[in-house]
Amino acid sequence: MMPAVRTIGIVFFALAAGCAGVKEAPPSVMAQTGLLMVDPSLLGPNQGGAVAAEPSRSEVKEEAAVALAPPPPPSKSRSAAKAAPPPAKATVKVSASAPSIEQPRKNEDPPPVAKKLEPPLDVAALKARLRDTNAIGVFTKLALKNQVDDLLQQFRALHRSGQKTSVASLRQPYDMLVLKVLALVQDSDPSLARTISGSREAIWGILADPEKFNSVA
Amino acid sequence: MITRARASALIFPLATLFAGPSPAAEDAALLKDLTSVIMLLGKPCGQVVSAKRQAENDHIASCKNGNRYRVFVNAEGRAVAQKL
Repeated sequence: MMPAVRTIGIVFFALAAGCAGVKEAPPSVMAQTGLLMVDPSLLGPNQGGAVAAEPSRSEVKEEAAVALAPPPPPSKSRSAAKAAPPPAKATVKVSASAPSIEQPRKNEDPPPVAKKLEPPLDVAALKARLRDTNAIGVFTKLALKNQVDDLLQQFRALHRSGQKTSVASLRQPYDMLVLKVLALVQDSDPSLARTISGSREAIWGILADPEKFNSVA
Repeated sequence: MITRARASALIFPLATLFAGPSPAAEDAALLKDLTSVIMLLGKPCGQVVSAKRQAENDHIASCKNGNRYRVFVNAEGRAVAQKL
């Protein structure tokens, strides 16, 4: 009798442990989708100084030959290096006032490897990544595809008309669409969100340049 | 032997019960999808709290703010949220 009771107990424990591992969508996810909240760390380099200070993204942008945002000012790091006292003193400062020291440390720390390895996407790769991700549902993917196609259509019409100055008028719709995409994927697929955020300027460079646009479209 | 049979009788229904994604999880994914698409289309909703399937890719979504939308794929292949 006792082994049977023990067996049943073990089975129930295993089932309970299995059920405890099931992830449920937190209520905050549902709430966030309606508010279009975007993690500031995912925003492009032109949205804030904190991201522009990251050396990896500027390197990536240089590789893409877009380089719209200014690279991190070397004077800051130099001044930080000059201002940085010998290691022993630095540790004393950290313990004394952690918040004030944290900002220069962020600049000195190398960014995670994943950020460096992600190459910037082009439009086709972005579409493919969005198609393959499980972060968004079928309806959302379809709506996104529609909006991307609409924007591409606007770029196409603009390039055909030959008005170079009005390409800038599409920057805001482009940024809005990127923000929407980031808001949709940042919780469920953060790596994709980082890649899109890092590819933002590269994709804009392709879209805004008629020759590049025609070559990919 | 009898206890082993009883244990088996308990195990198999429970295993069947917990196997695979539950319908509730699928519903949650659908509600999230509908919430996202309504948001993406710029319609006020907040959050979809319930949905009723009418046909393939055709749902009636009820929002937290009281609005109801028919979310469907039209003939041109576009996702549409039509206010009811």
